[in-house]
Amino acid sequence: MEFNIFIQHFINALSLGSLYGLIAVGYTMVYGILRLINFAHGDIFMLGAYFVYFATIFYKLPWAFGVIISIIATTICGLLVDRIAYKPLREAPRISALISAIGVSFFIENFAVVVFTGIPRPVVQPPILMNPIEFSGGVRLIPLGILVPVVSFLLVGCLLWLLYKTKPGLAMRAISFDIETTRMMGVSVNKIIALAFGLGSALAAVAGIMWALRYPRVEPFMGMTPGIKAFIAAVFGGIGSVPGAMIGGLILGFVEIMSVAFFPTLSGYKDAFAFCLLILILLFRPTGILGEKLEDKI
Amino acid sequence: MENIMLKIEKLNVNYGAIHAVRDVSLSINKGEIVTLIGANGAGKSSVIRSIMGLVKSQAEEMSYTSPRDNKTVSILNRPAEAHVKLGISLSPEGRRILPQLTVEENLNLGAYIRDDVKGISEDLEYVYSLFPRLKERRRQKGSTLSGGEQQMLAVGRALMSRPDLLMLDEPSLGLAPILVDEVFSIIREINSQGRTILLVEQNAFAALKVAHKAYVLEVGAIGLSGTGAELLNNPKVREAYLGG
Amino acid sequence: MNRVRNLILTIIAVILFALFLNKAPELLNGYWQRILNLIAINAILALSLNLIYGITGMFSLGHAGFMAIGAYVSALLVLTPAQKNSMWILEDIYPWLLNVNTPFIISIIIAGLAAAFFGLIVALPVLRLGGDYLGIATLGFSEIIRILITNTARLTNGSLGLKGIPAHTTLFMSWGCLGVVLICTVCMLRSNLGGVFRAVRDDEVAAKMMGINTFKIKVLAFTLGCFGGGLGGALMGNLITTIDPRMFMITQTYNILMIIVVGGLGSVTGSIIGSALVTTMLEWLRFVENPITIGSINIPGIPGMRMVIFSLLLIVVIIFRREGIMGMREFSWNIFFPKPKPKTKSKTEISDTILEVENMKLRFGGLNAIDNLNFKISHGQIMGLIGPNGAGKTSAFNVISGFYKPTEGKIKFLGKSIGGLSPDEVCREGMSRTFQNIRLFGHETVLQNVMIGSRVRQKYQWWETLMPFIFTDVIREDEEAKTRAMDLLSQLGLDEFADEKASSLPYGAQRRLEIARALATKPKFLLLDEPAAGMNPQESDELMKFIRRLRDEFDLTILLIEHDMKVVMNVCDYIHVLDQGVHIAQGTPDEIKSNPRVIEAYLGAGAAVEGSVA
Repeated sequence: MEFNIFIQHFINALSLGSLYGLIAVGYTMVYGILRLINFAHGDIFMLGAYFVYFATIFYKLPWAFGVIISIIATTICGLLVDRIAYKPLREAPRISALISAIGVSFFIENFAVVVFTGIPRPVVQPPILMNPIEFSGGVRLIPLGILVPVVSFLLVGCLLWLLYKTKPGLAMRAISFDIETTRMMGVSVNKIIALAFGLGSALAAVAGIMWALRYPRVEPFMGMTPGIKAFIAAVFGGIGSVPGAMIGGLILGFVEIMSVAFFPTLSGYKDAFAFCLLILILLFRPTGILGEKLEDKI
Repeated sequence: MENIMLKIEKLNVNYGAIHAVRDVSLSINKGEIVTLIGANGAGKSSVIRSIMGLVKSQAEEMSYTSPRDNKTVSILNRPAEAHVKLGISLSPEGRRILPQLTVEENLNLGAYIRDDVKGISEDLEYVYSLFPRLKERRRQKGSTLSGGEQQMLAVGRALMSRPDLLMLDEPSLGLAPILVDEVFSIIREINSQGRTILLVEQNAFAALKVAHKAYVLEVGAIGLSGTGAELLNNPKVREAYLGG
Repeated sequence: MNRVRNLILTIIAVILFALFLNKAPELLNGYWQRILNLIAINAILALSLNLIYGITGMFSLGHAGFMAIGAYVSALLVLTPAQKNSMWILEDIYPWLLNVNTPFIISIIIAGLAAAFFGLIVALPVLRLGGDYLGIATLGFSEIIRILITNTARLTNGSLGLKGIPAHTTLFMSWGCLGVVLICTVCMLRSNLGGVFRAVRDDEVAAKMMGINTFKIKVLAFTLGCFGGGLGGALMGNLITTIDPRMFMITQTYNILMIIVVGGLGSVTGSIIGSALVTTMLEWLRFVENPITIGSINIPGIPGMRMVIFSLLLIVVIIFRREGIMGMREFSWNIFFPKPKPKTKSKTEISDTILEVENMKLRFGGLNAIDNLNFKISHGQIMGLIGPNGAGKTSAFNVISGFYKPTEGKIKFLGKSIGGLSPDEVCREGMSRTFQNIRLFGHETVLQNVMIGSRVRQKYQWWETLMPFIFTDVIREDEEAKTRAMDLLSQLGLDEFADEKASSLPYGAQRRLEIARALATKPKFLLLDEPAAGMNPQESDELMKFIRRLRDEFDLTILLIEHDMKVVMNVCDYIHVLDQGVHIAQGTPDEIKSNPRVIEAYLGAGAAVEGSVA
């Protein structure tokens, strides 16, 4: 393989991987606290993409505005999902919340079909992000390919700062180990859970926006596969760990892009890699790469 | 009577079919060390968890008078997180250290409801002066501490909210005898600085020696009560532990 | 009597329904016939997923994949060589596959077996995972199966799918299959094995202690469920005559999940009712997606609306009526008739030297939970193991009963070394125990709880339960187990509660039930973990008498952990004391009471020396 082609693949893998990672962070935060697979998270991501589409292409707002509107609207949706479908089930068996999550995911997807119609809509990419830049050695990269990983890493960096340097972050980490003790310290658990959902949704919105730019179209079921894969990335990196989610996402991105790059005949099986990785890690290291053993909360 | 800080009348706690606490009444005066002793399974922890709002319970009265404003409020079935703001805090049984947080993060979590940065750092220094070992290990994760150090951390964490009523659930559990003595002398010291203490202990002997007032729980009900010194010489206490 | 009456009623109901099906082609149009067919197929699918999830408690999201396997296997077997030749356009079909052709009935059985085979392969690694991970892993497998089908064009014709599958699934065929599946499922679930499935769901730890190899049970339930998935898929393919990989997306699994949630997780009746309800509703809801004309007003159809309503329903059901329509209840003719009460009687056996623990050590990380424990129990003794909180008593129990492996040391039970055996193996050797925090199979009746305990001593195999009318030893052994269980219940004064749910009993009765269940495994040695916990003084007085009676009537040897010293001192012949993992004293109750080390351990350092507390 020629060097410039390899670099192209490398950047592709990096940006796909960081998108997976950005979504995975939302899964990992909610799972760490509630032991709940938020099946609707992939669909929250889809909403982020649609909101920016409508803001910029339908209502012709500038991209900066569109992005802000999309993040806010998506965050509100994420909070509503928690409030309506999960909060009433906090005391119920965990499996009930899981079924509720499946219901919500199903609902958002189909509601999107009703409101946005099921027809995929093309996203017009701003030329500024698409004009290739020439590097030495024949390497041509589009700015978007660099923007995606940079933005992702920045955001995850901010999140880590919030988790490790602020009081709500401290409470969030504490809750994931021991809800009762954290309550005894005066922490209002529901507020912190809402914060986790809000942050996760905001990051998913950003991921959705960048996804829409990269694969320039939006459709109601676009969140399904990336959602499941991002959850797998979160498990792979160690569920409950934010850096782990990012690492898991990157590994998954690289496996998908590079295996197809080196073995084009495997391209049909691309979507199966994630699941094979999942089963392997669960069998050999169930806590994931960076994971601590999470006790089931009873 | 304006001295009463916590008053409980006929407290009952049920877990499903188990009636763990029956008609327990007790009162705690400001500035006292009150201890609740009794054998394993007598219901001591249930009483303290009920006061903290961690289990649903029934009572004719459970009221708390804050020395800050002398207002009396009912704290029956109030959520635990609201207790801290009133000035009540608990060092729970089994220490419940957050294993992946550092010692200092654990302590900071204890001060979660407070915003006075200066006061917090003063209290941090105060806790470190009580337990110099914690200062040495401030950057270590909670899980790497020994049992005794974890106990110190749990007590220190409960102090970080600057409570008026400090509740300690089995602070000597699983500690070597030397450490037990140390813990009890620190309890005395904390009390001498004006904090009221409710102490739940299985180690009756040590607890009675420091307590102003004591209650003995037997199968969920109060069997005996009196001053620490009175009970220390009462043969019935031994019966409550080792059977007649 | 009742059984005969119920059988007659069932046969009448079946005949009436068969007559209806016979007339159906005249009475109903194609649309309704199709719905009726779909109800039967969905019911088969729901039953099979319910067996995995509702009854055995494994959260599986892989059903669509197993349906796909079934549908493809059956279609490949019934399509004629000529059809296959014309259908494989992109790549040639494998020659061996071209000429394979079997009758429909054979094809659906092979389809079920193929799905079961894949299920077994999946189950062996994946069932070691618990809870949500199992859900995600099975979801993953189902996706992998779909991707494999898309990419193995020579085998499956890839994404083009298969068309022109003969429409073999008639009403008689689908409902006939449902009938067979239903009979087998009901027979199996009514046998004691059914109780074992539910026991694994309710409390895996306790089930192990009843001598049940829970992993084997899970694999069995999962594989049987996959068979049902394959069968349902095969019938589906032969109903709609066209299949392609996109039919078997995760949505398909959600549909089935919806049925069992609405119907009631764990209820066979619920699966049937849920299937009828959800299938009809899904079809009926199509109207919201079609344009409607009322007079001169045209209301355009809203695509996607059907699924919106459907998913909202799922959320509403799970939030407001989590147990679904039936909960875990089942339909029975008995609900139309008042019920009478049963009664019965019997006795147990003998053995010699019981348990010997030598230098037992247990370490967790750096912590010494038990440091060098030595003791012996001879036949007929009641021995106490006491000590303050955190002394390591329950850890010792967990080692002896096989939940923990000792770090060092020997445990000999009836002369045989049992260190390292699993709890179910230990139980087979003749040991049973109760738990500190009662672990009953809460959703089962009192009688079922005790019967599950006797499963370890029954001899029939799982497949016999599918057809108990042929393998009558199932019925005979279950009758025996029931008689014995009733006997135990009456000896423990629980017979009046036999048909109540275990979780609804008063606390003291739950404790006794746990003991009755332990006795059903025919133990020679019984471990009681804090039997008096949570009892009031009267109850614990009764308990003392009861423990002695147990030893005498069941010829047991008993090891007891207890905090209520009155009970310990009155009941035990001999006592061992642990403190922070260290074996600090042993002796008769009187010796223990005056032992200074014991007093110190309980009342604190100094108490004994200064004598002030005494």
